[in-house]
Amino acid sequence: MRHPRLGSFLLLLALLLAWEAACRALELSRLVLPPPSAVALSLWQGLASGYFWPHLRITALELLLGVTTGCAIGFATGLALAESASLRRLLMPYVVASQVVPKLALAPLFVLWFGFGMTSTVVITALICFFPLLENTLTALQQVAPERLELFRMLGATRAQTLWRLKLPSGLPSILAGVRVAVVLALVGAVVGEFIGASRGLGALVIATQGTMDTSLMFAVLVLIAALGMFAYQATLLLERWLLLPFTRTN
Amino acid sequence: MSPSAARPSEGARPLGLRSGEAKDAQRASLGDASLLSMRGVRFAFPGWPPTVDGANLELQAGAIHCLVGRSGCGKTTLLKLAAGLLQPDAGEVVFRGKRHDAIGTDMGFVFQSPNLLEWQRVLANVLLPVSLHHRPTAQETGQALQLLEQLGLAEHARKYPRQLSGGQQSRVALARALILQPALLLLDEPFAALDAITREELQRDLLQMCRARGTSVLFVTHDIGEAVYLADRIDVVEDGRVAQEIAPDLPPRSAATRTSPAFAQACAQVRAALHLEAVAA
Repeated sequence: MRHPRLGSFLLLLALLLAWEAACRALELSRLVLPPPSAVALSLWQGLASGYFWPHLRITALELLLGVTTGCAIGFATGLALAESASLRRLLMPYVVASQVVPKLALAPLFVLWFGFGMTSTVVITALICFFPLLENTLTALQQVAPERLELFRMLGATRAQTLWRLKLPSGLPSILAGVRVAVVLALVGAVVGEFIGASRGLGALVIATQGTMDTSLMFAVLVLIAALGMFAYQATLLLERWLLLPFTRTN
Repeated sequence: MSPSAARPSEGARPLGLRSGEAKDAQRASLGDASLLSMRGVRFAFPGWPPTVDGANLELQAGAIHCLVGRSGCGKTTLLKLAAGLLQPDAGEVVFRGKRHDAIGTDMGFVFQSPNLLEWQRVLANVLLPVSLHHRPTAQETGQALQLLEQLGLAEHARKYPRQLSGGQQSRVALARALILQPALLLLDEPFAALDAITREELQRDLLQMCRARGTSVLFVTHDIGEAVYLADRIDVVEDGRVAQEIAPDLPPRSAATRTSPAFAQACAQVRAALHLEAVAA
């Protein structure tokens, strides 16, 4: 195919047309399944009137704050555990135990602790991002080839130099793969966090549209959530590509 | 240095040189004494029988030694003991009259794989031993470029290791080991993964570089031809010790060396020491 994206786009168009045709032919209730045209209208009205923007902004901000704090703490913890075997022995069981508990199940508790609003959602999002970063950082730093460690020992490198100049750069690709996983999971955290503990944000909007039985508006919000997720993912990919330039550059 | 390091047999040696003394003076005063000596060295990985057991090795300054032996005979372990990457359970490793308890300085090490940092350019890789201690000066950068030039890599200095062939990567690893102008170069089957033609070129270049600089070499290989071509002394390693030392009687190496009868004879001698003839019979 001459243009790689063309096929995907045509498929989307075909699916939307089929959906529209089905809604009209079967005369489905708009409450159950609104046709794409109605969803598009809701979306347009919401965007044009400015109704969506504050909610979109809140969710995007929660996502950003949650991802950065969660990734930063996960990275730092992974670093600490990778560098200290005794710390690893001491803390690893707790880290694993904390990950077995579904974090979304903790949302009501966070609402209790941090109140109804943005903070509890950011905490849930951060908690979700924490583990992939910890896991990937820990694995990446421990998987440095023994020959390279010997090289750095031979050259009289200090522990800090070995970390900054060998372990971190060589682990960077898998650490960044952890960021990518974290970003995708984080949106789930943010939206579900808002379901439970917020009155603003796209997740809260989904709950609100459920209450008013405005299904086409709900679909419009879902489209926004998907768009936000794809934007965040693409942004992460760009960041990754930029940080990995020394690994891919050929000039 | 612990008092036990000074054995009676070392009386003639200028032991206990102060670190403040100039490097060159130290080199000169050592004269033709051993640069590296390993005496009664024993080493076992925890939970395993000894890999190296009672190994003795004397390496004169400027000499090129090859350690030859079957897989698992302990030659790589012996090399790591010489480097100070491993500490002997018994016996001693003395480098320039000092028993070394830590990683040896003034030694270059070349690993089985080129072991280059793929996120750094070739020049930065060569300068790594320098840049770990201070920011490379213009002079040091010049030295690195000169080394690359001598190894035929002048136009590749700004490239990344992934853009080079396996042979070129091995050359970069060699340049990195030589940048600090070490007195001793330790190589662990550095050319084993290369094709035969590239390997011969690298052997030739290694020999030239080390002869020109007076660098001593301890080279681990399982390739008999490689050992005979490179070495002044071939140490045949068996069961964790140097079973036999062979000095091949060959003129200065040239392209014709490999096809000379003397070369074949030396190879046969090493083969015999490795009990290869008995297997064939």
